Amino acid sequence: MSATPTTTHELASSRSVRARVFTQVRNRSQLAGLFGVLMGLVIIFQIGNPIFLSPGNVLEVLRAATLYFIVACPATLVIVSGGIDFSAGALFATGGIAAGYAMIGGVPWPLAVIFGIAVGVVLGIVNAILSVYLKVPPLIATISMFFVASGAITVLTGGLSVSGFPKAFTDLGQGFLAGIPFLVYYAIGTGVIFWILLEKTPLGYDARAVGGNRAAASANGIRVNRHDLIVYGLAGGVTALAGIMGAARLASASPGAGGTALTFQVVTAVIIGGTSLFGGIGSIGGSAVGALLFAAINNGLVVIGVNALWQNIFVGVILAAAVAIDQARRRRQFTSRR
Amino acid sequence: MNAADRPAPALELANITKRFGRVTALEGVNLVANSGEILAIVGDNGAGKSTLIKTISGVYRPDEGSIFVNGQPAVFANPADARAAGVATVFQDLALVECLDVSTNMFLGQLPRKGWFVDRKRMDEESRHFLDELKVTVGDVHTQIGMLSGGQRQIISIARAVRAGAHTVLLDEPTAALGVRETQHAANIIVALRDKGNAVICVSHDMEFVFKVADRVQVMRLGRVVGTKTVADTTRDDVIALITGAKKEAA
Repeated sequence: MSATPTTTHELASSRSVRARVFTQVRNRSQLAGLFGVLMGLVIIFQIGNPIFLSPGNVLEVLRAATLYFIVACPATLVIVSGGIDFSAGALFATGGIAAGYAMIGGVPWPLAVIFGIAVGVVLGIVNAILSVYLKVPPLIATISMFFVASGAITVLTGGLSVSGFPKAFTDLGQGFLAGIPFLVYYAIGTGVIFWILLEKTPLGYDARAVGGNRAAASANGIRVNRHDLIVYGLAGGVTALAGIMGAARLASASPGAGGTALTFQVVTAVIIGGTSLFGGIGSIGGSAVGALLFAAINNGLVVIGVNALWQNIFVGVILAAAVAIDQARRRRQFTSRR
Repeated sequence: MNAADRPAPALELANITKRFGRVTALEGVNLVANSGEILAIVGDNGAGKSTLIKTISGVYRPDEGSIFVNGQPAVFANPADARAAGVATVFQDLALVECLDVSTNMFLGQLPRKGWFVDRKRMDEESRHFLDELKVTVGDVHTQIGMLSGGQRQIISIARAVRAGAHTVLLDEPTAALGVRETQHAANIIVALRDKGNAVICVSHDMEFVFKVADRVQVMRLGRVVGTKTVADTTRDDVIALITGAKKEAA
């Protein structure tokens, strides 16, 4: 892309070009820096215990990361749109329970999966309705949803797991292809789809506009409320699907699956991956590295024998650092240069 | 001025009155904006400039009077109506998304598509084309708005209005908060806009700017038009006298 200096106007175009290159380098360097942190940890863990990079353990890290990552993809879209979804952990469990009950009730498994996704979509849309039409801030709306949905499935199941699924269904979560679990392929597929959505489609462009400046987006004809309904609905559906795949993997759906742990891990992975909590900025690639980093830390600290209590301290420090870096980046980037 | 020989004005307001309860914000206001002409609107605080802007941009509906676009009667029930009729307003707060680049902002809400995807190439090419036409150099259409200065943002906002198909562009204080050099640049853009055949209306406090770029100046005072002058035939002192009410003249 060359600049088009067609006039003699004295606008400091060279300064803009320099600034743009600077921005790109900085954005890339943030992702590269994150990747560097990941590599550094890998080396430390590998020195601490050579089992860390064994095929079996790498697969374990990947499998753990896939769960965070599949849910992190729609969560990235939601956060880029200026929202937040703290109901993910509950919708994850609800998807599994809904599909599980359907299967036990005799519904063919493909229809049961669709039913589970549909429940997730509806609950996601309820999140959006609460925030858009009843003006409940998304943080509160989705936390409320978390409590209501996880409470409802706990009451429904009496707190017990649901199992007895057809083999065709559990194979979806337990199968391997070329020595790699199906789940990893699902995660890659989800990542590619959401990367395209965010970077190439009107939905993704609108997400950045709505998250970056909601009033401006609205003034320029973007239907911001409709956008929220779509994004939260999509998040609900994909999160429920992830829960259904989790249930297939374990051959059992538990009302306690996901929970606060998954919710926080997903948001943390997305934020560590450079997506701004204030909307507009973010990438699927960043969330992928964030999820890998998260899974590697959880696994690595156990492998090298660090007390489990230290894990949370470690994650907390990294999260705070990630947001501090994001804030500094915003300040520098969006201070008007007169 | 022999209005009879001219084509119908791009935008004409006839006898517009707007009341808020007992307060009459605009009273019998007439306004003519011609293609290829810059009309400046000046007046003290409380002269009714803001109400006039909101009436032209479709935020307010007048209680009395008519609006004509290219000679045809028009009703602006909301901002979308005004925009659809080709009358675009560039507000002071500009409504740009800082974290997005220039070409995305130019096409906000109207992204060109190729199937399911955004036609990025077309968006960039058309943005470049429009900015070139206005003789603007922002370096690169991939520059984020957040990296631009206030003047550059102003220019992008104006370019966006033109790109969206406006024949009449209303600018609210286009030089407020701009430095000397940027004011000069904004003036160049506004002149380029006029020379392209658009009707331009500038509401401004900046007398130097008004006398440099405008073709005609319309003075408002206490909700009425107290004078419309051809800039070449008047002086700054005359206009200031009209603004302050030191001098009276039939509108």
